Amino acid sequence: MPRAAAVELDQLSKSFRVRRARSTGVAARLRDLFSGETQTVCAVDKLSFSIAPGERVAFIGPNGAGKSTTLKMLAGILQPDAGDVRVLGLVPSRQRRQLAFQIGTVFGQRSQLWYQLPPRDTFELLGRVYEVDAPEHRRRIDALSSVFDLGTLVNTPVRHLSLGERMRCEIVASLLHSPRMLFLDEPTIGLDVSAKATIRELLWTQSEQERVTLLLTSHDTGDMERVCTRAIVINHGRLLWDGPIAALRRSYLKAKRVTLWSEAEHLELTLPGVRVLSSGAYRTELEIALEITPLGQVVDAALRQTAIRDMAIEDAPLDEVIRALYATAATGSVPS
Amino acid sequence: MSAGTIAKYAAFSRISATQAGRERNELYGRMAFFAVILGVFSSLWRAVAEAGMPVAADPKSLVWYLAATEWILLSAPPIHLEIQEAIRRGDVVYRLGHPASYVLAEFATGFGLLAVRAPFLGLTAFLCAFAFTGWTPPLSALLIVVPFGFVASTVITALYLGIGLLAFWLQDVAPVYWVWQKLMFVLGGLMLPLELYPAFIQRAAAFTPFPSLLAAPASVVLGTNAVTPGALARNLVIWSGVTAIAVSWMFRRAVSTVTINGG
Amino acid sequence: MVADNVSFTRALVATNFKATVALRGAFVIQVVFMALNNFTFFIFWWALMQHVTTLRGWQLGDIQMLFGMVAAAFGLTVTVAGGVRHLGRFIEDGDLDTLLTQPKPVLVNALGLRSQPSGFGDLVSGLIFIVWSGQISWSRLPIVVVVIAASAVIFVACGTVFFSLAFWLGRVETVATQLWELLVTFSLYPEPLFGGTLRLLLFTVLPAGFVGYLPVRILRAPSLANVTILMFVATGYLCLAVLIFNRGLRRYGSGSRFTTFG
Repeated sequence: MPRAAAVELDQLSKSFRVRRARSTGVAARLRDLFSGETQTVCAVDKLSFSIAPGERVAFIGPNGAGKSTTLKMLAGILQPDAGDVRVLGLVPSRQRRQLAFQIGTVFGQRSQLWYQLPPRDTFELLGRVYEVDAPEHRRRIDALSSVFDLGTLVNTPVRHLSLGERMRCEIVASLLHSPRMLFLDEPTIGLDVSAKATIRELLWTQSEQERVTLLLTSHDTGDMERVCTRAIVINHGRLLWDGPIAALRRSYLKAKRVTLWSEAEHLELTLPGVRVLSSGAYRTELEIALEITPLGQVVDAALRQTAIRDMAIEDAPLDEVIRALYATAATGSVPS
Repeated sequence: MSAGTIAKYAAFSRISATQAGRERNELYGRMAFFAVILGVFSSLWRAVAEAGMPVAADPKSLVWYLAATEWILLSAPPIHLEIQEAIRRGDVVYRLGHPASYVLAEFATGFGLLAVRAPFLGLTAFLCAFAFTGWTPPLSALLIVVPFGFVASTVITALYLGIGLLAFWLQDVAPVYWVWQKLMFVLGGLMLPLELYPAFIQRAAAFTPFPSLLAAPASVVLGTNAVTPGALARNLVIWSGVTAIAVSWMFRRAVSTVTINGG
Repeated sequence: MVADNVSFTRALVATNFKATVALRGAFVIQVVFMALNNFTFFIFWWALMQHVTTLRGWQLGDIQMLFGMVAAAFGLTVTVAGGVRHLGRFIEDGDLDTLLTQPKPVLVNALGLRSQPSGFGDLVSGLIFIVWSGQISWSRLPIVVVVIAASAVIFVACGTVFFSLAFWLGRVETVATQLWELLVTFSLYPEPLFGGTLRLLLFTVLPAGFVGYLPVRILRAPSLANVTILMFVATGYLCLAVLIFNRGLRRYGSGSRFTTFG
């Protein structure tokens, strides 16, 4: 028997009816309710993909692309309008409670921790929510607390925690019942650089160790690169691209970014496919389209003018890759 | 105060009045609540009349009395909440740099709200009281209640401002507001004219501003001639003065604490 | 299954209580002031009933009992199921998301989220009013408890229905709060004050009759028939509330319906 997919979407669609903004006041709103003066906005449009158990997938798209809406349908929060969804073999809208035992969710903008109480109280309540027996639950709390390095934080009221500390506790809360699948919506939003790094590392190790399937949305490409191996890009509720993150780079990254530190104050490079991004004293930054001019030729040309003291070669940031992806999607030609 | 200064603060009133005009839901809520309370009390006073009226007043004039006290009280916007928020957020410190007095600007804002609420609630009071009793007090009485009531409501607004300023010293001013509300309820004779309370309560009330703000202006509709317009005017002038002095003194104290300790 | 849900509900109530008393100073102030509030309000009745001994058959003691019953039931409602007053906002702002991903009934979970400290003040002062009315003997204690619980259930059910309107209408905060307060207001005044069509309203849409008047009738003269009616009615309102809430939950838009989505 082939292993079932962790997540399977087939032609999933969801639209929202958005009321006209003019309605203020209950009377006007009642009128609207019956007059049906609404506008339908399609948030998710015949979306299909599947995720194998243990995969770590980044779900990418600009604001309003339908990422959160999709995630909420997978978690059983929203009811789809059309199409099929299966998560761990269950239909979320119909088997919400059974599914709930097996999934964990982290919404960066919402908290499941009790604000006035230390996280431990929430953790213990969650033991009742997920019907885990008490001694086992306590062992699990201690184990995760040590992995996530919570220390005394478990006993500090949430209102005194920093955002990064709180997020670590949120993730622990979502992992307490050993879910097989974890959905994360913007888990690093608002965090500083080091807190982000901590969260990413923990997510990676945890999913690696317990074979938890991860699906995370984020605006931060760092989240995707450090945690995930695969990316699913959507826009306007439709699939734009699906594949390994490395491939995403390769297929869109036909350019390298090269910085040269030279003996001469200025470099004059006019080669086809080479664009000067910035040029200052003794420093020149180039973007090189490799399929037009190979890197070696550019370096040779530079060496013919002056000695090179140092050189840095980078890929364009993933951000730009994704921006390029949206741009090509807008013009209609999407390679895959 | 120069004409320019007056125009400046009038602008605060105008803008808050416009805002209040836009956000009608809360006002409609207050009007509905007011109508229901008047309905409940008109039944109550009818029942009391069946059992033998305790004072000379008839049930109809007691409904109008309540209409008047509630009108005065509900018209005053509870601005202490926003002032407390502004103080907690530390916004007041920034406002100190503006060429407008914070206290006067807030008062003008509150007055703008009051100016929108009072006519709507007044109309509600008049229509409901008339509908429930089929009677109106003599025009001469209404002509006294309306202006004096409006002034009383203005003084109450200023007092809310004072309660809000307490947030400079207290963590939460809500308990002070609650105490104030209860005192208003009993000593101000909100639902029951003071004459019906035991003597010791009446004596205690005489030392406070509460009867002058609610019971006295409202009792004109009872037709008992307990207060003359002259006495009403004198009391309101005294209590407005006391309120103004107290609020400005509080604010000056607060500002000196803030500027010394750096908010 | 049932045992798990009971143990969950118990844990939820306990956590809620713990969160409420976490800020001790604020808690004590709220409790004391709410009790004070109720006693001050009662000065009105006390002063009035010095002049009129009975009001269509109601004496001061009866009014005290009504007042105590309603305050206790209301206090019980907002301490145990304080989330009821926030349901509208939860629905509107998408705060049910987290609860929907948990394997427990969403309504129970949402109701148990926010306990109101002032409710303890209502509960305590309510019980004092009942005892002070001098109309209840200790032997009737079980009936008192049952009746308060039943009327609290009706409060919760009505609040759930009023605030669930948000599933269909969006921002209903003001209207729903208004309806809820009307229910409380009407239930605090003696039954014989109201007649005609208003009475019909008070035993249906705004069941002040069932949270206040019927309980007082039961306490004055306990009858199995009236207790049965009250229990039946409470169960009915509760079922209706659960039905309406779950119906609404299907329309739940996770905060997206009236604004933007992402």
